[in-house]
Amino acid sequence: MKNTSQNYKSAIKPVWCPGCGNYAILKSLQKALSELEIEPENIVTVSGIGCSGRFSHYMNTYSLHGTHGRAVPTALGAKAARPDLTVLCVGGDGDGLGIGGGHIPHAARKNVDLTYILIDNRIYGLTKGQSSPTTPIDKRTKTSPYGVYEEPLNAIAMLLAYDTSFIARISSLQMKEMVEILKEAINHKGFSVINVMSPCVTFPVLGYDTVRDLIKPIPENHDPSDKLKAMQLAYDDTKLYTGIFYKVQKPTLEDNLNKQIEDAVSVEDNQKVTVEELLEKYV
Amino acid sequence: MEKKEFKSDVDFTVRIGGEGGDGVISCGELFAKAAARTEFHVFTYITYPAEMRGGFSMIQIRVRDWTIYSMGSEVDYLVVFNQEAYDNTISDLKKGGMIIYDPDAVEVDESLDAVFFPVQLTKLANEATGYDLGKNVVALGMLGSLFNISKSVLQKLIKDRYGSKGTSVIEKNMSALEKGYVEGEKQSIEKKFHLKTENEKPTYMMLSGNEAVALGAIAAGCRFVAGYPITPATPIFETLTKLMPKVGGRAIQMEDEIASISALIGASFAGEKVITPTSGPGLQLMGEQLNLASMLELPMVIVDVQRGGPSTGLPTKTEQSDLKFAIYGTAGESPRCILAPTSVEDCFYQTIRAFNIAEKYQMPVILLTDQSIGYRKATVKIPDFSHIVEIFKDNVLRSSLIPSAERMEIVTRVIPEKEELEGYKRFKFTETGVSPVSVPGMEGGQYVATGLAHNEVGKADYSPKNHLEMTRKRFKKLKYLSKAFDQNPPEFYGSVDSEIGIIGWGSTEGAIREARYLAEEKGIMVRHLHPKEISPLPEKQIRHFLVGLKQIIVVEENYTGQFAHFIKAKFGVHPIELHKCEGSPISSREIMAVIEKVARITDEEHITEL
Ligand SMILES: Cc1ncc(C[n+]2csc(CCOP(=O)(O)OP(=O)(O)O)c2C)c(N)n1
Ligand code: SF4
Ligand SMILES: [Mg+2]
Repeated sequence: MKNTSQNYKSAIKPVWCPGCGNYAILKSLQKALSELEIEPENIVTVSGIGCSGRFSHYMNTYSLHGTHGRAVPTALGAKAARPDLTVLCVGGDGDGLGIGGGHIPHAARKNVDLTYILIDNRIYGLTKGQSSPTTPIDKRTKTSPYGVYEEPLNAIAMLLAYDTSFIARISSLQMKEMVEILKEAINHKGFSVINVMSPCVTFPVLGYDTVRDLIKPIPENHDPSDKLKAMQLAYDDTKLYTGIFYKVQKPTLEDNLNKQIEDAVSVEDNQKVTVEELLEKYV
Repeated sequence: MEKKEFKSDVDFTVRIGGEGGDGVISCGELFAKAAARTEFHVFTYITYPAEMRGGFSMIQIRVRDWTIYSMGSEVDYLVVFNQEAYDNTISDLKKGGMIIYDPDAVEVDESLDAVFFPVQLTKLANEATGYDLGKNVVALGMLGSLFNISKSVLQKLIKDRYGSKGTSVIEKNMSALEKGYVEGEKQSIEKKFHLKTENEKPTYMMLSGNEAVALGAIAAGCRFVAGYPITPATPIFETLTKLMPKVGGRAIQMEDEIASISALIGASFAGEKVITPTSGPGLQLMGEQLNLASMLELPMVIVDVQRGGPSTGLPTKTEQSDLKFAIYGTAGESPRCILAPTSVEDCFYQTIRAFNIAEKYQMPVILLTDQSIGYRKATVKIPDFSHIVEIFKDNVLRSSLIPSAERMEIVTRVIPEKEELEGYKRFKFTETGVSPVSVPGMEGGQYVATGLAHNEVGKADYSPKNHLEMTRKRFKKLKYLSKAFDQNPPEFYGSVDSEIGIIGWGSTEGAIREARYLAEEKGIMVRHLHPKEISPLPEKQIRHFLVGLKQIIVVEENYTGQFAHFIKAKFGVHPIELHKCEGSPISSREIMAVIEKVARITDEEHITEL
């Protein structure tokens, strides 16, 4: 039976506001998975807390809706324990850059083979409109009644600084391109992060018009292994470049955990040790 | 049998003290290992300075021809490398005990009732190796001679320990060892105890409590550890990172404790048996994810090797002060099980039990040990591997056998049958509250595990009825667990007729046991209960124990009497509380002193009739 997007939809109807950018991401992901023909039972979807955090409920996969900011290390545990599974992770700008921001460099450094969809609406949606680490300067929100004073974080530049092995940006307005990028990210061996600019219609710090005005495809001649050029594109604040900024191959966490096993057994005649033998070493 | 328990022919204690960098600990450990090759039991206790180098550190080794329950209150042989070690420990020397000291570094009080045994450790080390560092090995050789340990045994142990450092290091150590033996023979001192052995086939492992936990986890089938270093739990993590890959398992150092327990949640969700070792501050950071594990009904084992608190507190010292936090310390009401091992050997077997309970009841289990049990070393009987019973899909709530060297039960979580995957309900209401849990890869087993209030299939559901039913479901598991605990035979020590009862938990078991023997010698009858199940409590057992007691003493190493509060609230009794909050383990003598006082109390208002 040919896989269709339908196979990846759970029985639960999304509770997002009509017009929310998250719908396009959910649809694109389900389409990408069906085109990659990965069986739903072999997929783990972990999401954080937020409007975006509800993602896992709507996926017909092994889905885990955890706590605020901990989606990435949780997904990492699942992948490390079961490298045979496809592991996806979804969270908001607050979830991944605020409360959970400390985990990202480590997931990047370990290069755990999972795909992290970092949904950026530049606001705390679920808690109804407080400023987030990506809310633009001067913007008034419920917790910045006189305007935000700090500059927003630059997610792409941060991910580049962490040596994340796959970095892309796309927006909810570009479903076709998003499906392709998602497929490439899922196929990438290593930590792949897709920063999705996704309008929130209820607290429109990032509205559809803003996204439409700012997005611009990364020049076709961009070499995704050129980190400095990627950094330049990331720092161009007149535009929101979309496409793949950076992509390199390096050993993944799973490769290294396998290597750790090889190294440990290399001193034991290349044989795994039985529990009995292990205990006897302690006499 | 009891007789032998408190009067044995061979029972002595050696303490070695010196500066942090003196190699005191390795000297003691090698001596202990040699002693463990005989038919005797061995028990060691270590304190390290918090600073990396310098500061006072000591190791105490007790050797006995019967099970050892504590480090012992007095020392028979004191080996001191410097003045600070002497000053700090001389008051613990038994009358007529022996002081072995470096006369170039230590000034002794010759009026003491003691046997003096001066050895120029530094000078001899310099002769043998060319520098000061070999003095611990000189001391080892000297002890070898004093206790008649075959030289070949110590030579082999040195080779095993220093083999990786090259032949010249080995040779220097061998000549230092030789010096020690020769020096020992020179002094005409009576050799009271002989640790000579020909026996090569061992029945015991020599483990620290921390190592016992690590090995117990592996024996229980755990193949995933994620952690973050913290004293005094680090040795568990280090041991696991070393051993896990040898058995094909995975070990990951995470960026903090929140990430560690998060990884456990992901790995347990993916079907693995998982563990993380930590201490109080780390457990605190794990709070929110611990709740999530209860809510998602995921098995996992968290070890809290308690240290002195609060805050950074006494990182290298012992305390039993995380009890309430372990039981209650998270937002909302989330069921979990708390076990407290009572000895090094128990660390091994209770860890296995912790996994069995976690898997069977699908909840986090916290293993509460402490610095004193974690760093203490003792002989642990190697389990009989022909008697391992593996249990899959066990949803029968008969009493879970407590794993022992004779018979070990290994339990793995119950998974759904094929027909249960039709319209699969992950959180299905069942009689016991335990519902079969699918694992990724199982077709049709997909579900959402959410920290939000959810219904049987896992869908978010905030209705009042559902919230109550689901809370009930999760707590039902705890009730059934408590029932299972109650099926264990009521186990207390001492006479049924005694009117004084002592309750303790965790690492104080040995000291309380010995205090009971001391009391019995003086004709004071005492009954002793030491539950290993802290939450849920084995209520029936405790009620059974309390019957007929006039006075109850609750012993624990903290300031506020956390376990006593628990006992008071649950059983309506008014125990006399004995707290020790000095960072060191309570001794049998300290407990004995209180027993004597209590026995003298005639004042009616202190007597609680049950
Ligand atoms: C520990 C903790 N702190 C705070 C919250 C409250 N909270 C829930 S979602 C959220 C912010 C969500 O913003 P974001 O991650 O950007 O997701 P969005 O709703 O915008 O998709 C906050 C602060 C929480 N659930 N847990
Ligand atoms: S509040 Fe914003 S982000 Fe949340 S569902 Fe509504 S539109 Fe989407
Ligand atoms: Mg947001």
